[in-house]
Formats: sequence, C-alpha cells, structure tokens
Amino acid sequence: MPTGNATAARPAISVADAGIRFRRNRGGRRSFKDLFAGRDRRSKPGEFWPLRHISFDVAPGEAIGVVGRNGQGKSTLLKLVAGVVLPDEGTIGVHEGVAPLIEITGGFVNDLTVRDNVYLTAGLHGMSRREIDGRFDDIIAFAEIADFVDTPYKHLSSGMKVRIAFAVIAQLEEPIILVDEVLAVGDRAFREKCYRRIEELLDGGRTLFFVSHNEKDLRRFCTRGLYLDKGALVLDAPIDDVLDRYNADYNS
Amino acid sequence: MSRSARYRHALWILTVRDLRVRYSTSALGYVWSILDPLVMSGIYWFVFTQVFRRDVGEEPYIVFLLAALLPWMWFTGSVSDSTRAFLREAKLVRSTTIPRTIWVNRIVLSKGIEFLAALPVLAAFAIFSGAQVNLDIVLFPLAIVIQAVLTIGLCLIVAPLVVFFRDLERAVKLVLRFMFYATPIIYSTTALPDRIEPFAAFNPLSGIFALYRSAFFPQELNWHLVGVSAAMSTVILAVGLLVFKRCERSVLKEI
Repeated sequence: MPTGNATAARPAISVADAGIRFRRNRGGRRSFKDLFAGRDRRSKPGEFWPLRHISFDVAPGEAIGVVGRNGQGKSTLLKLVAGVVLPDEGTIGVHEGVAPLIEITGGFVNDLTVRDNVYLTAGLHGMSRREIDGRFDDIIAFAEIADFVDTPYKHLSSGMKVRIAFAVIAQLEEPIILVDEVLAVGDRAFREKCYRRIEELLDGGRTLFFVSHNEKDLRRFCTRGLYLDKGALVLDAPIDDVLDRYNADYNS
Repeated sequence: MSRSARYRHALWILTVRDLRVRYSTSALGYVWSILDPLVMSGIYWFVFTQVFRRDVGEEPYIVFLLAALLPWMWFTGSVSDSTRAFLREAKLVRSTTIPRTIWVNRIVLSKGIEFLAALPVLAAFAIFSGAQVNLDIVLFPLAIVIQAVLTIGLCLIVAPLVVFFRDLERAVKLVLRFMFYATPIIYSTTALPDRIEPFAAFNPLSGIFALYRSAFFPQELNWHLVGVSAAMSTVILAVGLLVFKRCERSVLKEI
C-alpha cells in the first residue's frame, strides 16, 4: 500500500469470514416457529453452505476476477458483494457505490417505452432526473437503438434488450462495477464495445469485480484472481497464478 | 443524496411506475379505479334502500357507504397486492439494493394515491344528495395517517411470509372477503348487537372508518374506537417491521 492518508488505505470492499446458507430442499416445509427462533448457527440437515469462511479485501482501483467451476459459489459471492443477498455469517463491507451488471434486464417493464424504462432503471440505481436527462442521448447512442426510443420494451429484439440494459448500467457513475456473465449474450461487435467500455471505466480508476469462465477475458481485465472451490476461497493471488492453478486442478 | 432522500426517490419512482403501468395498458385508466367502488356502492345502495327495508346506516345512505367503501378499497387493494410484492418483481428485487421495505410501501402508496384520486366521487355524491359537511372533516387526514400505519404494518407481515407459504396468498383473499362484512362498511358500529359491539373496537378499521364518516355524520365519531384503532395500528406496524426484518434474509434467498 503506498504512503497515503486513511482514505487511500481504506479498502473498497472488505469481506470478513462471510458465509451464506441455503436449504437444499427449496420451498421445503417451514414452520412459523422457524421464523421466530432467530438465527441459530447450527447447520441443520438439508442445509448447505455454498460459501463459508470467505475473507478478502479489495483496494480501490483493483480488478478482481473470480474463478471456479459451476456451482462453486462464484455468482453467490458476486450477489453478496452487490448486496442483493445478505450473509448469514461474517460481514461484507462495501464502502462505495456499486453498479451491478447482474440480471441487467430485470428492471425493465414490458409495457412501458424504452424512454420510460431508461428513466426507471437509472433512477432506481440512484440517478436523479437531471443526470439522466444529461446522459439519455449517450445511453441511446451506446445501445444503437435511436429509432426505438418510444417503442414499448416488449417489442424490442432480445439483443436490443440486453444492449439498452447494459448501456444504462454502464453510465452509472459508481466506483465499483460488478460483472456477471451477462456479456455472453449479444453479437460479437457489441460485446467488444461493452468490453471497451469496461476498460475505459477501469482506466478511470474504477474497481472491477468480474465473474467469468472465459480465460481470455479474465486475463484481459483482471490483475488479481480469487479461486473458489467447494464453497471456500482456495487461492487469492495474481490472476495468472490463479488460472494456472485452476487449469492444473481441472484440465489435466 | 442522503439515505432518506434515496429512499424517497426510489419509492416515488416505483410508485409512479406502478401507476403508469396500470394506466398505460388500459383504455379507461383512471376510470377503473373509481368504477369498482361505484359499482359496489350502486349494488349495496339498490339492495339496502330499494329491496330491503334498512334500519342501519345514515341518510343519505350512498354517502355513508362511499365514505367507508373508498378507504376499504385502498386497504383491501394494498393487502391483497402485497401478497405478490416480491414474487411479481422477483427479477428486480434480485438486481437492486434499495431498502426492501420499498417493495411493500410503494403498493400502499400507489393504492393510496388512487384512493385520493377517487375522493372527488365522494364529494360529488355528497353535493348531489345534499349531505351536510361539518367541521369533523379536518379529521380526514388523521384517518388517512392511521390507515396508512395499519396497512403498511399488515403488508409488511404478509409480503415476506407469502414467499415461504404460498397458501397464504389465497388465505389472505379469503380473510379480506370475511373482513368486508366484519367491518362497519355497509352498516355502522352502532347497529351491532350489544353483545358484539364492545369487540368492534378490536377491528382497527372500525375507528378509522368512523373518523372518515364523521365528516358527514358527526354522531358516528367515537373516540374510544379511534383510540383503540390507533394503538392497534401502531402495534401492528411494530410487529410488521420486526417480522420483515427477520424474514428479509431468507426472502432474498428464496425468490
């Protein structure tokens, strides 16, 4: 850590001994008693911990890639950092605003026009009306759907839907960006455009938290890697070391 | 933006969205929100003034009816919609971090706005039927506040529990239908048999509707009812906040 004042030393994200518990039989029987008994720490049968005892800090401006096989808790970790699920154990401190590229089309309403939808979604992520007014044209230009601004959202093609959703979140001025594998959709040209936008944001000093299976993308954006296996953080090291270890574990 | 400014900002956005969606998809829009209570009160007016010989309620009966029926629509609409508060918006809940109580409060708020927008209907009927307005009309805002507290409290209890017990959705609809007759809407608390009347206070809506009605019928005002209803509403809100807090973590995992 370079010499600096207290704010420079403060991590953007600090995760301390975090864990989350799910029940295996989804929608299983629950009694009212269960709800009021408080959180007890014992692991009951039928429950499992997709993540447990996870600790790490992320400094502002770092680009972190999360690596692991399917079902090892990558997306859950991203959701915990995004604050859309809450940990059952430990703490997750996110000290700056977050622009989550997770389920990006989730906030869009079929019956409203693209314009209304942009105002809604950007507003829900904390942009004021005036800020949106100022960026509206940029958002539409980025998504390349200028002709469809007053079309109901449901009439857009699925590619357009993703484009407009990405364009809105990418315009948020938040210091932390979370990216799940949303970019697997869309044509190659648009994906490249999204990647360039992410690089731009990274150059602007943003903190990136990136979940992907694509080794090339991980090496392109990230400097540091987190390797998750069986719900535990196995390795926290430079991204190349993490990928080498991952490949050694599973591709040999 | 400060925390409370952000809260209000997000609450307002979602409320407007609710209203806009409701009105952009139907040709009649606003008319629907007043048509429902109008048809209902038309039916009750016909049954109780033209068919049966009625000895409950006050004159003019249509004003007596609407003064409770409109707020009832707000109450029942909010509570029954709150059963889908998380399920209908699951994708959005999963992708934003706004305080989760907003998902419930925006329902109560948007239904409340529809209630306010329907009040001119009550005013129109009051004028046409020659009902006397008196000073108690200043109590209207108090009634709105108590009702908002009660409704938010109940919705905070119902919304998260439905996520775990889907049956609750139907149970709530059934209870609401029962409540319609167990609440002084087509009759007045004073019309209840003496044995039952003391218990009427334990339906918090009794006191609230008495307050609304006192604007036209001062004899309906009963401070005992209002006091019990205000106290119960506060307790229900406290319980609601507690239940909501306890369930929040599990709700987010479940949806």
